Amino acid sequence: METATVETPRPTATARRTIVELCHISKMFTVAGGRELKVLDDIDLAIQEGELLALLGQSGSGKSTLLRCLAGLTEPTSGRVLVYDKVHEGINPHASIVFQTFALYPWLTVQQNVEVGLMAKPLSRAEKEAAVNKAIDLIGLDNYHDAYPREISGGMRQRVGIARALVSEPQILCLDEAFSALDVLTAENLRSEVVTLWQQQATSLKSIFMVTHNIEEAVEMATRICILFPHPGRLGLVLDNHLPYPRNPNDPGFQQLMKVIHQTITMQALPDIPPEPPAISGRPVSRARSRMESIPCVPVGQILGLLSILEDNPDLVDIYDLANEIGKDFGETIALVKAAEILELVDTPKDEVRFTELGKKFIIADNDTRQKIFAEQVQKLRLFHIILAYLEVQDEIDEETVLKDISVALPYENPEKILQTMIAWGRYAGLMDYDAATNMVTRPEKPEAELEETKTE
Amino acid sequence: MKSTATQLGAADSKRSFGWIDLILFAAVLGLLWSIAKFGSGMMVRFDATSQSLSISTDIRYIPYYAGRTLLRMWIAFGFSLIFTFSAGYAAAKNKIARSIILPFMDIMQSMPVLSFLTIFVTFFVSLFPGNMLGVECASILTVFTGQVWNMAFGFYHSMVTTPQDLHDAATCFRLSARQRFLKLEVPASMHSLIWNAMMSFGGGWFAVSASEAITVLGKNIQLPGLGSYMANAVGTGDNQAAFCAIVAMLLVILATDQLVWRPLLVWADKFKMELTESAHPPKSWFYDFLRRAYLFEWIETQVVQPTVALLDELRMKRHARRALQPARSNRIGKYIRQTIGVLLLIGLLYQVVLGVVAGYEAVYRHISLAEIAKIVGLGFITLLRVVAVTVLATLIWTPVGVWIGSRPRIAQIAQPLVQMFASFPVNMTFPLVVGLFVRYNVDMNWGCILLIAMGTQWYILFNVIAGAMAIPNDLAEAARNFGLRGWPLWRTLILPAIFPFWITGACTAAGGAWNATILAEIATWGDKTLKATGLGAYIAEVSSQAGNTGSAALICGTAVMATFVVVINKLVWRRLYKYAEHRFHLD
Repeated sequence: METATVETPRPTATARRTIVELCHISKMFTVAGGRELKVLDDIDLAIQEGELLALLGQSGSGKSTLLRCLAGLTEPTSGRVLVYDKVHEGINPHASIVFQTFALYPWLTVQQNVEVGLMAKPLSRAEKEAAVNKAIDLIGLDNYHDAYPREISGGMRQRVGIARALVSEPQILCLDEAFSALDVLTAENLRSEVVTLWQQQATSLKSIFMVTHNIEEAVEMATRICILFPHPGRLGLVLDNHLPYPRNPNDPGFQQLMKVIHQTITMQALPDIPPEPPAISGRPVSRARSRMESIPCVPVGQILGLLSILEDNPDLVDIYDLANEIGKDFGETIALVKAAEILELVDTPKDEVRFTELGKKFIIADNDTRQKIFAEQVQKLRLFHIILAYLEVQDEIDEETVLKDISVALPYENPEKILQTMIAWGRYAGLMDYDAATNMVTRPEKPEAELEETKTE
Repeated sequence: MKSTATQLGAADSKRSFGWIDLILFAAVLGLLWSIAKFGSGMMVRFDATSQSLSISTDIRYIPYYAGRTLLRMWIAFGFSLIFTFSAGYAAAKNKIARSIILPFMDIMQSMPVLSFLTIFVTFFVSLFPGNMLGVECASILTVFTGQVWNMAFGFYHSMVTTPQDLHDAATCFRLSARQRFLKLEVPASMHSLIWNAMMSFGGGWFAVSASEAITVLGKNIQLPGLGSYMANAVGTGDNQAAFCAIVAMLLVILATDQLVWRPLLVWADKFKMELTESAHPPKSWFYDFLRRAYLFEWIETQVVQPTVALLDELRMKRHARRALQPARSNRIGKYIRQTIGVLLLIGLLYQVVLGVVAGYEAVYRHISLAEIAKIVGLGFITLLRVVAVTVLATLIWTPVGVWIGSRPRIAQIAQPLVQMFASFPVNMTFPLVVGLFVRYNVDMNWGCILLIAMGTQWYILFNVIAGAMAIPNDLAEAARNFGLRGWPLWRTLILPAIFPFWITGACTAAGGAWNATILAEIATWGDKTLKATGLGAYIAEVSSQAGNTGSAALICGTAVMATFVVVINKLVWRRLYKYAEHRFHLD
């Protein structure tokens, strides 16, 4: 775990109490079929008073699980949670959660929804009413006391969620991708309000813990950024962010921090490995893929689209610029690029994307040739050998067996998602098919030999 | 859109009592008075040896009899609600409870409702000797078994499918189990609960009208009510009275629908999970009428809220006191509760085992194997009839249902109508139809198919209409675009789309058909009794027999019918459901 500093002035450190500490937290889940999936692997994290900690990770990296362990909604499989230096089990009384889906009760008005935050507290009716009104006032929902959630917009619903979380005067506010379900403008507005709320210290709120996959959001809001590497979730990098508020995305310090984060994520997802010597005999194994490696769960159409965009914009080289161009967030773009790289259609030196020779051939070919190239490349992937080996011997293989093999080969991935992607790629390549009625992976409908025959007739 | 957002910053308009509240008040008083009057009628003495209380066929008595029938329905419904909440909650929260309660309800659902009647009557008459209350209890409990299972299943299902993030929010803010139940689980289930309640209540009409004329200890007992009134009217050949009775029944069903269920459905709209307004929200004139009454708001602010606040304060004080006590007492309490639970379970099992042994003994002593074989044979004949009803109803009503469902405005009128037809207890009209059979010398073996179909075909129609209404617009437009009509259109779009709905309808119809056979396979007109060969006729006959042979035969017949239903459920309906879910799910 590295700690990197950015060239900005560091404030003098004062003795601050640790509100919550996660020690050696691991979490395993049982996936369908009785398999165990390790989502979090030995994580140590501490949140002190007066900081805003952002946990950055892609979908499926386990960040929501970590937040739930911190708040006490989920029990970790191993490890301890310390609240104010004492071991704690169960709901963390000092933390309140704001949910991505808002989690408002549709049959309660705004006022009643905020009241839910106080239901467990021994306060009189008058005290509760005063607290609720204060929270609603703080978050700017003054005239909406009697509105129902279905009458107000998404941004306002999330404000209700925030008010509900704040009304019980927690020390930590946990934001579970709280802005992901909002449109860009509303999210921007709400972000700055939350930061202002935290800074003003108008309530008992000391720290904020947010999980997000949006890198810009993390850099804009957080005083400390932790990057979570996926499969299994483990802490990759911890960065201090001492930029002064309010932060400007065009500020050079901001840009520098973004670059560091981009590079870290890219290096982890698309490592630059020197070319390996070719295999001596047998099936050609693709370079750097002699180990069994997972494939990103990306549909074929998107890979083709990526190549098309790269062809149209030859000077679009930086992955970050590419992400902006196609409008996807950074993590999704990395997955897309990785898929193309595994198929040897692009090369990724450092954080750039460039066509390979094969990629250039692919992009100008017609549909049939593309399928052929795709099939050749797919066959080089060791992961696909699992299915192809079965299909050499028999007409079809049942899904369960394949899932079991995948989960043995890739213990940190979700086998079902992987299988879905493999079938999608396999179908495009004409290497396999899937029968939904019987849940069997089968040989393709028309094997190539027959196609040749019908063509020559 | 019914907006309830207060006028921004405007002062609260002063609301006070108006003339609507006066009407409401008078209506409530009238309701309480009539409940008291009908209720007192339940506890009249009767002498088992003398003739039954005579039911007058005077038309002026119809409102009174209607009231008695209604009272029975609502008392049974109250019990159904209590059972629904307890059993549904227990099954949703406790694994052991779930493994007992769900199969139990499944079996009970498959048992013919009217078999229970005889058992209940013998039990309650011995409990309240010489008093009509015993017979009333039996009738009410029979209605209960007709209403409750569907509601309980529905409540359990909605408890289990409450969205996880709402549960997480409740956990995060440390709501107690009681608070979670009242603030989250009940409101989340409210919409489906009210829908199911409406359907289940309707299923009770059949039971109540059938249970108003019973044979106890060889004597005919009649409970005052619309069902017995109708039976008497037909028996004495008073056609005018019979007609009035049918009209009264329809009016009662209509009134319950308009004054109770429709307003409740409109109110329940606020509990729907979707965070957008629905395109066709339900409407009710009565609900709009009631909204203008200040009485409800007054009750809410002056009675309900202070009471809740007081209860909360008391609970807080109790919690504060309990927090000072050592944690050990909690564990003792847990052990005590666990022991009580285990003891209850053992007691229940013991009773069940006793019952099973007694039943087996009774059957063993009085029924020979040949008799059992005969009963099973009769069951197969009845099965053929049930299949025939289902197939015929499907063939006839599916095109009609699709036609109605594709025209939304007609569907809006038709659906509530069909719902009402489905609730109407057609067994009231059986004697008239049997009279026709007698006149035209129709063989009951075929004629009873018509009788069975009269009550149950509506479920198929109703569900097919719902299915046709649910065909997504874009699929229909695509079909039109490609010029699909006639059989190709049906084969490609319509039949697959309505298939899951049809299964629900056919399953309900088949279940209702089995129940109906008990009243349909043997029916009377005046002094003529027509009987068909079948399990329903057998059960009906042995119900009226006194003595041990009779009860043993009843147990046998009931068990055989229940077995048929359960087996067909597992072999046919469950598989079809799974197949439909897998293949035809529109998502």
